[in-house]
Amino acid sequence: MQMNASQPIAAPRSVVWAGLNDPDVLRACIPGCESLELTSPTEMTAKVKLKVGPVSASFSGKVTLSDLDPPNSYKISGEGSGGIAGFAKGGAEVRLEEDGPDATILHYSVDAQIGGKLAQLGSRLIDSTAKRLAGEFFEKFAAELAPAPEAIAETADPATEAEADTAKPASKGWFKGLFGGKAEVVAPLILMAGLGFMLTHACCLGGASASAMDPLAMAICSSHSAG
Amino acid sequence: MNEMVITREQREARLEGMGCKRKRVEDVRFTQGRGNYVDDIKMPNMVHGDFVRSQYAHAKIVKIDASKAKALPGVIAVLTAEDLKPLGLHWMPTLAGDVQAVLADGKVCFQNQEIAFVVAENRYITDDAIQLIEVEYEELPVVVDPFQSMAPDAPVLRPDLDGKMTGAHGPRKHHNHIFEWTIGDQSATDLAFETADVTVKEMLSYHRTHPSPLETCQCLASFDKIKGELTVYGTFQAPHVIRTVASLLSKIPEHKIHVIAPDIGGGFGNKVGAYAGYICSIVATIVTGVPVKWVEDRMENLSTTSFARDYHMTTEIAATKDGKVTGLRVHVLADHGAFDACADPSKWPAGFMNIVTGSYDFPTAHLAVDGVYTNKAPGGVAYRCSFRVTEAAYCIERGMDILAQKLGMDPADLRLKNFIRREQFPYQSALGWEYDSGDYHTAMNKAMEAISYRALRAEQKAKQEAFRRGETREIMGIGVSFFTEIVGAGPSKNCDILGVAMFDSAEIRIHPTGSIIARMGSKSQGQGHETTWAQIIATELGIPADDIMIEEGNTDTAPYGLGTYGSRSTPVAGAAIAMAARKIKNKAQMIAAHLLEVSEYDLEWDIDGFRVKGNPERSKTMKEIAWASYNSPPPGLEPGLEAVNYYDPPNMTYPFGAYFCVMDIDVDTGVAKIRRFYALDDCGTRINPMIIEGQVHGGLTEAFAIAMGQEIKYDELGNVVGASFMDFFIPTAVETPHWETDHTVTPSPHHPIGAKGVGESPNVGGVPAFSNAVNDAFGFLGSTHIQMPHDAWRVWEAAKKLGVHA
Repeated sequence: MQMNASQPIAAPRSVVWAGLNDPDVLRACIPGCESLELTSPTEMTAKVKLKVGPVSASFSGKVTLSDLDPPNSYKISGEGSGGIAGFAKGGAEVRLEEDGPDATILHYSVDAQIGGKLAQLGSRLIDSTAKRLAGEFFEKFAAELAPAPEAIAETADPATEAEADTAKPASKGWFKGLFGGKAEVVAPLILMAGLGFMLTHACCLGGASASAMDPLAMAICSSHSAG
Repeated sequence: MNEMVITREQREARLEGMGCKRKRVEDVRFTQGRGNYVDDIKMPNMVHGDFVRSQYAHAKIVKIDASKAKALPGVIAVLTAEDLKPLGLHWMPTLAGDVQAVLADGKVCFQNQEIAFVVAENRYITDDAIQLIEVEYEELPVVVDPFQSMAPDAPVLRPDLDGKMTGAHGPRKHHNHIFEWTIGDQSATDLAFETADVTVKEMLSYHRTHPSPLETCQCLASFDKIKGELTVYGTFQAPHVIRTVASLLSKIPEHKIHVIAPDIGGGFGNKVGAYAGYICSIVATIVTGVPVKWVEDRMENLSTTSFARDYHMTTEIAATKDGKVTGLRVHVLADHGAFDACADPSKWPAGFMNIVTGSYDFPTAHLAVDGVYTNKAPGGVAYRCSFRVTEAAYCIERGMDILAQKLGMDPADLRLKNFIRREQFPYQSALGWEYDSGDYHTAMNKAMEAISYRALRAEQKAKQEAFRRGETREIMGIGVSFFTEIVGAGPSKNCDILGVAMFDSAEIRIHPTGSIIARMGSKSQGQGHETTWAQIIATELGIPADDIMIEEGNTDTAPYGLGTYGSRSTPVAGAAIAMAARKIKNKAQMIAAHLLEVSEYDLEWDIDGFRVKGNPERSKTMKEIAWASYNSPPPGLEPGLEAVNYYDPPNMTYPFGAYFCVMDIDVDTGVAKIRRFYALDDCGTRINPMIIEGQVHGGLTEAFAIAMGQEIKYDELGNVVGASFMDFFIPTAVETPHWETDHTVTPSPHHPIGAKGVGESPNVGGVPAFSNAVNDAFGFLGSTHIQMPHDAWRVWEAAKKLGVHA
């Protein structure tokens, strides 16, 4: 499966870069994400629970980052396994383009291979579901990052900062990343993004609409007469 | 009193014998939901089995951890190859002389291959347990393209055959090679090509598809430890063969194995073979002591139990410049998947592909078939056709169209010019068959007239000109197909399965009151045997069909037979029925002579009994004879009236037909509309015209599906993509065109009732008719061949390639 797309995000590039590298942000944004662990500065593992029609599984994924060029681009590669539900492997290239001081365009190109039961569901489902999941991911991701400019502007005022934190506790992680700006913090965060792409795009699980799946479920289960 | 006024016509009509459009008696229960299928059968303490299947197309199995599954409440057993090894059942022989892993033995060779068999109290628990079994794989390089299978550096797909350079059908050329099968006179054929005015060559792919019966493969096995007896209910097209195989593998004596095929919801070749599910269910019932049921789901059926086709046929025809064919040369690359599990008679690794000379008088021909392994599911069954006959028909019928195009000849005229003539029958084909009978010119001319062929060609020409002028975006195709089948396998001299000759059988017993029970070695999966077999008996014995009960599928009561596939039931079992009936009739004649106190030779048969020649008032009906046979037989004659016949056919039968498809294609959408489809079939004597029509409708609908989109597709990783009814094209009433049917009758000279078999003709002849229509539509734009399947996307792509979208 291949997917090339661009996603405008209403946040400065450095904020987006940091967001992509924040485990808390990614955990919140990846549909069905149950856990996310950094195992080294450029590696992480995650568990994502997904359901596509009759195929339901907990996916374990491993992601490795390479060619890090903060805050411009990196490559991610990895694989996820969902037991009898199937597996995915492949990679993605992610590039952040400045679109003025307060906006960024995130370009991504995913090239993934899907195997096992998921692949048997047919490419038309896989591609459309992947796009839908990408949409969900970015919707949440943009929501996480959108208040950032306001928050940054108000960091001078400790009271407002506290208020902002209360309003958006999940944002705290990337604030640290943003202001810490240290490479060893940024790198693991990038991994998260990798996982996000791998598990949302490549595995393209979860979130498929129930109505689209019902005929499939029927087709697959039709020979299991209940009696 | 009433008897007096009944006319001969009424007596005949009352029988509902051969030629009668008798309504299908089995439909009384089927249409009311009262069929009895395997999954309807429940036994006390019955449990369920299901498979853990491979996610990979090619991988080593590093570890199987079933501990979590075994701990799940309700799970009774988990079988792996390790458990089957001590029994010698981790591998099983295939019908094609190869072996196949029952459960993966350290390695998987195709996606969804069986790895472990989980037995649990119910189907829900088996599904849960399957998810708890952890299989660790080590991926291996995958081969899905048969053209890459024999590359020097291709990965070894079958290490179990390592070093074995001779297979079941002779030498192997490569580690992924299965067999080479050749027939015909190569040097004479080569010479024909060297000296030909015109030659054509094209690689014609017949893609992989699947019989996809609505009821999947399933079984219920129950072992009685006290009696040492095994009972297996299953979806078996050949129940006796399954019993023999089960006995050979399990070492349980054959008389202690009760194989029963109840109602079957479609087979189409898918239910001929022996599958891992059967073996595992049998092992599981022996191990657990309770009945074990296994039922495939849809994806399992489409992706693991026998596929069909996957033949890649490089086809060459030599001809004179005025269109007389002089030679045929075909090389087939046959993709058999990971194990050679084709269901062909033993001596025929490429089935009857050598019917590829078709309906034409080829003076010489040569055929070579190379079978290869790939990381795809095993199989290669005859999906509603005799063994590889639909591939052969597609090959020659596309080939003839390609030749016609090159010669600038009309494809129907080219066929008429090259048909085997009526007076040439029995005809010896260049590739070794003796065609029993045929009248191709009559059939073709009747068909051409029925569809106003010349007028259609004129319309097509006008449309092509309009298209060129830019007045329309629609192009018109006329698909011509004239097929000759070879069915009714088969004579014991050249046909056997696992050493069992391919005879068939019938046992007919007349009760004292004149009703009948008859049992056969065939097994209906929807063909309507309960209706048609009774009609044969009704005509032969003069007992109304409604008084005849037909029973099939119970191997304890039915005589041994080889089952139903390859259109063999009417040619073989149908002949056995007639022969058994004639044995009874001979005895009945002796009894009638005794009752009428005349010599047997003074009697003649008259619809439903015997009458005295020249004195028709003196007669005995078969019902009267039946009573007498038990209660007052002639002195010295054994009482009773029954007979068994095992029929070894002297030859195959050769049904044929002329099919025409008229199609309009929108070049901008690729959508093809079938305007007309006309099918003329000659299946010899027609037993039940309504059932024939139903068979033709069904077979044409499958042919339409195959030609226009149905496909089992693999991606480069070896994933079988689209193995569900979301993607696998099954036409419904919405897509299915209207079918026009017609017939001629050329009886088989060697068959007792002259019948030839018809169930598969429409699939054999239909596919080339559709494909030729698509190709015919694009021919004037410079296209010589477009590969199947012709779904809208591929048709659109073909149009794009020809530059018509500019």
